[in-house]
Amino acid sequence: MTESQALQAREKQELEGEGARPGPVFRPDIDILERPDAYLIYADLPGADENSVDVRFEKGILTLDAQLATSPEPSWEPLHTEYRVGTYHREFRLSEDIDPDGVTARMNNGVLELQLSKSAARQPRSIPIQAG
Amino acid sequence: MAQYSVYRPWAAESRGGLDQLRREMDSLFNRYTGAPATGRSRGVYPAVNLYETADAYTLTAELPGVDAGDIHISLKGSTISLQGERKIEYESQADASLHRRERQAGTFHRAFELPVAIDADKVEAGHRNGVLMLRMPKSPEHQPRRIAVQAS
Repeated sequence: MTESQALQAREKQELEGEGARPGPVFRPDIDILERPDAYLIYADLPGADENSVDVRFEKGILTLDAQLATSPEPSWEPLHTEYRVGTYHREFRLSEDIDPDGVTARMNNGVLELQLSKSAARQPRSIPIQAG
Repeated sequence: MAQYSVYRPWAAESRGGLDQLRREMDSLFNRYTGAPATGRSRGVYPAVNLYETADAYTLTAELPGVDAGDIHISLKGSTISLQGERKIEYESQADASLHRRERQAGTFHRAFELPVAIDADKVEAGHRNGVLMLRMPKSPEHQPRRIAVQAS
């Protein structure tokens, strides 16, 4: 394990053209890992709880949406603002076949953890040859 | 080396004047560049928002995936500091290959000087859905007081 480096803040990336949703929409940071049997996806969704996360997989495209569980209360006067809050949206294409029934998702401390099982490899089938 | 800086964004001259000017500059800048308007201080993690109510300050910080046990909060005078480490470990996934890595790990340290003293014994910290929330009541002498009006 290498020595920890100091974290660098990254600007939240706001999406344009998501006009159907009220308020700003942000693109969450993700990590994607591939295992022989599955893809593992981790997405930072601070402020979202498990009930607000919507994951869809359709035609090879994985779509993530999440809402905030809580917002600043109206009575709080902002003194200093470094980040804005809003909903999250991201979609990406996955190259390999995913088993639609093999998708599991859980939220852990503001991080969405997705496991997408690959569809069972097309098993090589032996074709019996019948003697004529 | 952890990053360390003390922010005093509410220094007397910045409450109306400079802060207002900065917002206007941001807005002008963004009109031409299309960049979102944020007051983020570049290169400093985590991003923090501060709010004030009559009797307390509330600090929120986005720390997704950071365990509560890895966040250390300390108070000295009217300066509150947060430090800790965000760990992302994929070592256990030895047979996995990493296709994309946007989430970052590392150490952090930030400090904020609050405008007035706070009541150290009554600071409450919560950590939910990857957001740290600190509620810091103002010290008794800075609490709003209700003055009863007596009928003559």
